[in-house]
Amino acid sequence: MNRLRRFVVIAATVCSLAAPAAFAASAVKTPDFERVKLANGATLLLMERHDVPLISFTAVIRGGALTDPTDRLGTASLLASLLEKGAGNRDANTFAETVASVGGSIETGASTESISVGGSFLARDQKLMVELLADVLQRPRLEQEQFETLRDRSIEFIRAEKDSDRSALTPIYGAASLFGAHPYGRSVGGSEASLAAIKHADVRQYYDDHVGADRVIIAVAGDFKTAQLKTLLSSAFANWRKAGKSLPVVGKQAEVTARRVLLVDAPDAVQSYFWCGNVGVARSDPRRASLDIVNTLFGGRFTSMLNTELRIRSGLSYGANSSFDRMTQGGSWELGSFTRTEKTIEAIDLALATLDKLHSGSIDAAQLESAKSYVLGQYPLALETGSQWAYQLATLEFYGLDRSYIDDYGNKLAAVSLEDAKRVIDEVIPTSQQLVLVVIGKAEAIRDGLRKYGPLTEVKLSDPEFQAKP
Amino acid sequence: MIRSLLVGLALVAPVAFAQVPGGNEVRTATLANGMQIIVWPDHDIPNVALYNWVHVGSRNEAPGITGLAHFFEHMMFNGTSTRAPGEFDQILEANGARNNAFTSDDVTVYQDWFPRSALETVFELEADRLQNLSFDPKVVESERNVVHSERRLRVDDSHQGRLQEQVQATAFVAHPYAIPTIGWPSDILSWTIDDLKKFFSTYYAPNNCTLVLVGDVEPDKAIALARKYFEPIPKQEPPRPVKTEEPEQLGERRVAVNADAQTPLVQFAYHGISGKDPRRPALDLLTRVLTDGDASRLHRALVEEQKLAISADSYFTAGFDPGLVWFFLSLPADGDAKQAEAEFTRQVERLIEQGVTKDELARARSQALADFWRGLATIDGKAQALGTFEVLQGGHKKLFDEPRAYEAVTQQDIQKLAAELLRSTNRTVGVLKSPPPPNEAQTQSGGAK
Repeated sequence: MNRLRRFVVIAATVCSLAAPAAFAASAVKTPDFERVKLANGATLLLMERHDVPLISFTAVIRGGALTDPTDRLGTASLLASLLEKGAGNRDANTFAETVASVGGSIETGASTESISVGGSFLARDQKLMVELLADVLQRPRLEQEQFETLRDRSIEFIRAEKDSDRSALTPIYGAASLFGAHPYGRSVGGSEASLAAIKHADVRQYYDDHVGADRVIIAVAGDFKTAQLKTLLSSAFANWRKAGKSLPVVGKQAEVTARRVLLVDAPDAVQSYFWCGNVGVARSDPRRASLDIVNTLFGGRFTSMLNTELRIRSGLSYGANSSFDRMTQGGSWELGSFTRTEKTIEAIDLALATLDKLHSGSIDAAQLESAKSYVLGQYPLALETGSQWAYQLATLEFYGLDRSYIDDYGNKLAAVSLEDAKRVIDEVIPTSQQLVLVVIGKAEAIRDGLRKYGPLTEVKLSDPEFQAKP
Repeated sequence: MIRSLLVGLALVAPVAFAQVPGGNEVRTATLANGMQIIVWPDHDIPNVALYNWVHVGSRNEAPGITGLAHFFEHMMFNGTSTRAPGEFDQILEANGARNNAFTSDDVTVYQDWFPRSALETVFELEADRLQNLSFDPKVVESERNVVHSERRLRVDDSHQGRLQEQVQATAFVAHPYAIPTIGWPSDILSWTIDDLKKFFSTYYAPNNCTLVLVGDVEPDKAIALARKYFEPIPKQEPPRPVKTEEPEQLGERRVAVNADAQTPLVQFAYHGISGKDPRRPALDLLTRVLTDGDASRLHRALVEEQKLAISADSYFTAGFDPGLVWFFLSLPADGDAKQAEAEFTRQVERLIEQGVTKDELARARSQALADFWRGLATIDGKAQALGTFEVLQGGHKKLFDEPRAYEAVTQQDIQKLAAELLRSTNRTVGVLKSPPPPNEAQTQSGGAK
């Protein structure tokens, strides 16, 4: 909350529909960068940019929630938080003071497939930046007392989230319901129950097993001299050990063929928050450009079919959208919206009817061209800053993609035909009968109405798990 | 001047005084109808950010029409006498542009992000909706529901939102900053087309707008386009100024909200300063010492050491008139709101009595300066910053003095400001928690916990 609001002192209390997800692609070409592979497997990526006196970095460690012990979900996430709570010869307080005293930032986090450490420092502090990053990754203190504090607070954070914006929770329940026991169904941050089961020794074990040089990608972009920073980073990471275990291989989850419903009871809710999804595509899927066009038209921008129906025409909701979650294997394709409790069934019916309309061939040539212009026109805004480039470089490396993923995207978008669009709708976008439907809302008011969508499982928002018990 | 420069160099290194790159290329113009234009070319990416700052917010509302400024933020996308509802977005998106808007207590800001090829189209559409907005009753009714849905999302189904609305309404007894920007539900449901028309003609005048463009544009061309599309729109009588001043608060105010909450919340709102107040950098540094990062005082004391809270945050509003300095505590599920409040107050009183250390000031200043640069790393951040300074903080040129203004703040400045603002008699305290169950006594004697 702090950082976002500082220099922009105005309180933007109320905004229109949140920005549609920024898609890839355009006339932007990847600036030159250098890739260095150290003998221990660590990968370094360096891109000079001299527009502002900052250096940004993204370090990504393969693993993440995928490598959580199945009965201790949230372990990777807790470890990520613990990395910056004291490292090297600095205890947690000294570490925080050191970062703040130079106006730096270091943020750690976990995702389904990785742990990441990102941040930025003023250019003059590059030596300190490398020292702190090396300490965080190679010499975290992982102290018991810090661990316990963090674990307890993480449990409280989940409770606090359940008291705020419920639309942010539907994807967690959605993934759990869609992927079940598959690793992509895990709540990255764990649950109240799973976090309570994690011991200090589990986090130490996770660090030994799943953090090491052969798992790491370090991407840096900003105001530095490549030769100098390369030397600093190479010597800081050359002697790091490898991770104790090998990375598990994850298979593709089968798609859902028959619709089912998860109802999450929030007795005090005045709106229902709904989510529909099925298994989508992998990051490397060659149909990417066609799929981005199709999703933009269906639920990826303000005038999309979904937002037009649920917001613009009917006034049922403040917003509706759809998106792909692209991972090593097929992640989810999902749509989401919300409406007042009395209108729940009407809004879900409308969302599903809109999906049927997409399948019945509603996209025309003018819309196709509009979506191309839109995706292409917005793309450079995701490739503007050092911090964005560090993230992009790390992402390309993580998924085994090369710069053509960015540089050729504009041409690929331009080449998408109506036939391509229709084909990927058939092949990838689920029909309204092939979905997992998740609704957070006042169960007693909507339970009966929801039954028509398929077999219904009900849990409580206050339950300490996201996964419904079989 | 020279002295503060040297001190700055010693503490924060030369970068703090580096000229903001391209800052000397900012061009301004005033159209014949009074509309202000500011252009800052930046050719890093082939895109442009346009912000149209309309000088109207919930501060300009009254009972019966609360939420109307924000409602306009929605209506401005909904058709003109020359274009049907929806065409605005369709044309922009087909030209590669995205748009949005936000409303605050003070201003309503319309934003477009687009490839440079769409420049003239964007000017044409922005001028059209400023001049020719239409009010189709069907569209108004539909959009009323959209706004109500937004209110349920942000306020009614969010405990932080619900409490903050109550605290703000309690903190002001005279000034319209008491009004929630989203509007009270009964007003959202009942404002009329006539209310809309009157509001539009009063506030949506070119002489009440500041247009900011940053990105891949030539200033001469942008200003010429502004003359072509905006200059024909007639100037209007300036809106009536808001003259009400909030009287001095004479004692602490409290507000309680009962909700079925897993985690209790405590909020504090102190009367603060306006955007033009020269103490703004000092107030920013003061709040950073208290809540910015793991090394800050409130985080360390309440979250890390005493575990009374799971988070401690702050921000302050500084608009046309003196706003509020906010502090937000989220408590653990079994948290004691009284104890958390007492410790918060103790920390604030300690700061008033003893001031901040040299190290704390240096740290807060480094964080502020680094955030300054992070904010200027994008064309969007630059447009936001230029507009904020021009409209609310005494002129866009002040943006470029910002590092120097932060260097000039002393430990004494911060202590003095804390003593003046962070008094208990100057604050409103809000607490949100579950009401005690009716059979609490029995449960306790039964030893259920």
